[in-house]
Amino acid sequence: MSLVNLAHVCSHLQNASKARLGLTSIPLTNLHLRLMLGLQKQGFISSVQLGGPAPPLPEILREPEPELPRHAEEVVKERPWELYATPEPKDSDALLNPRSAEPVAEEAWAEVGSHGSRKASSSSPSTSATSPDVPANAARRRLWLGLKYWNNDPVISKMGLVSKPTKRIWLNSQDIGKIARGFEAGYVKGLTRPGECLFVSTDRGVLEARECAEKKVGGLMLCRVY
Amino acid sequence: MSVSRPARCLFSAATSASKPLPCLHHPRSFHTSTPRRGRRRPHYPSIKAADLEALNARAAEVPTYSESEKALLAKKYTPEQVAAIEAGEAAVDARDLLTQGALRTDPYKLRYIDDLSAIHPWADKQPRKELDSRVDYRVRHKSERELARALVNFTEKTKGLGDQGTEPPRGGADLKEQPGDWEYFRDGAYSALAPELPKFNTPGLRYTRGEDEDPHMVRLMQQTGLTLQEIKRIRVKNLVSHRVVNQTRMGKIQSLYYLTIAGNQNGMLGIGEGKASEPEDGQRQAMMQAIRSMKPVPRYEARTIFGEVEGKVGATELKISARPPGFGIRCQHLIFEMARAAGISDLAARVTRARNPMNTVKAAFEALTSQKLPEDIARARGRKLVDVRKVYYGGKVY
Repeated sequence: MSLVNLAHVCSHLQNASKARLGLTSIPLTNLHLRLMLGLQKQGFISSVQLGGPAPPLPEILREPEPELPRHAEEVVKERPWELYATPEPKDSDALLNPRSAEPVAEEAWAEVGSHGSRKASSSSPSTSATSPDVPANAARRRLWLGLKYWNNDPVISKMGLVSKPTKRIWLNSQDIGKIARGFEAGYVKGLTRPGECLFVSTDRGVLEARECAEKKVGGLMLCRVY
Repeated sequence: MSVSRPARCLFSAATSASKPLPCLHHPRSFHTSTPRRGRRRPHYPSIKAADLEALNARAAEVPTYSESEKALLAKKYTPEQVAAIEAGEAAVDARDLLTQGALRTDPYKLRYIDDLSAIHPWADKQPRKELDSRVDYRVRHKSERELARALVNFTEKTKGLGDQGTEPPRGGADLKEQPGDWEYFRDGAYSALAPELPKFNTPGLRYTRGEDEDPHMVRLMQQTGLTLQEIKRIRVKNLVSHRVVNQTRMGKIQSLYYLTIAGNQNGMLGIGEGKASEPEDGQRQAMMQAIRSMKPVPRYEARTIFGEVEGKVGATELKISARPPGFGIRCQHLIFEMARAAGISDLAARVTRARNPMNTVKAAFEALTSQKLPEDIARARGRKLVDVRKVYYGGKVY
């Protein structure tokens, strides 16, 4: 879990956003993957795709049309709030198997309907990378990220580490709650900008600070994004 | 591979295999922008005569459609399509085909060579939806001229009705009580349009806009579209003024510099600079530029700003933050005056590096006008943002 590489990723995403790139790539590690899925869930990036040194095929990057299951109407009638539920990002399993996107999506709908939330699976990338675009050599694999822009502005304008490689900061859920409310806690400045996000590495995966406060879990402060 | 594929495509595919094009994506490039070339190429390649002759010889060998192939084409395509195919074949120079014709190998290449029947989801322009036949898409509002003409036509028609002695079409009770109303329409000299203002040729009579005849003010009113009263209501304050000197060979030329802010105390703020040898001129320049440059400052609950913003001009960096109601404007005097002019009542600010007054004002203006609104953030991220202040206590929070 190298925070040096994470710092490089933060700087790279800032630079790529300033350069108005549509697609960029970062080295693949489990921490990067979890954090990028968190960023995608918060809407900072549009796509996360496993690939090699060359960019993945464009049709893989396209968002598949949402397919409703057969009993969708009944589900919506019984539990209408699920229409407005934030879509869970694709699991790392689904990401590492880009060819089998549709069945995973259908399964995700069923699981969200029954349990409410899904557990993040932690399979190693070497087991299921079967796509021809993904190199067999794990060190050559990269995560390809789609960057977002709105009103001529990049959606990620700043992204920086909170913990430093030489000084890691762990906080409990009370302190994280204070930070989410905009106050300083544990030498970490509060989230004072509108829409500012702070990502925390916990034993339940990489979570946003507000999720941490809600689930009452603490962890290692990773980076703040706005 | 279909039978009907043109022979040239096959041929070019075979020939291009011997001379591969440079790959568009370098195998180790980690982003999608094209890599920069190492050395600049000349505009015109130098071609040897022997190469040109060889190229011409190869171009002569490029096959054309034989009679049997044309018959095959005629089976699949209509005569017009066959004519189009032949015209297309004739339009491509065989030498260009040999020198430039190659199949792309990058991941974003087209997935077909000549089959245009299928619409590719990302490479092709998607067909537009059929228009609704019941909707008239050319419908528009009448222009003022057309409206006036329609009104004139209507009055003409009603005039005719009155002459025939029939009842007017909209004969209400009040019309019956006042039969004199329709007399207007019977009178040919009477028009429904407003009469033109009379013009007097009296030499002593002058048309004035008001008592203020200042040409600068008239120009400012024309530029901003504001009335004199609105301009006078704008809060204008001079924040910085000092003497500047230009050293020329004739000697020192001194003038006076002014930095002025203008705000309507309701969310608009502008800054302007002026420089002139006369103080009045410089002040007026600065004031007018400030009024012209007024921009909206987003205000949260019309009292403070949205979150925290940073501004930077030169070595001056500052941070302006929102504060709760009743906090007041607790910051240095320049930003205080700007907040007053913009109509902000709760604010904190900190100038972290250089505190040059001119740059402080400019950086604060940049920071105040560059706030990101929660609506924009929500749209950009595709997520719902909720103002928690409006959620607790039924929104009754002041």
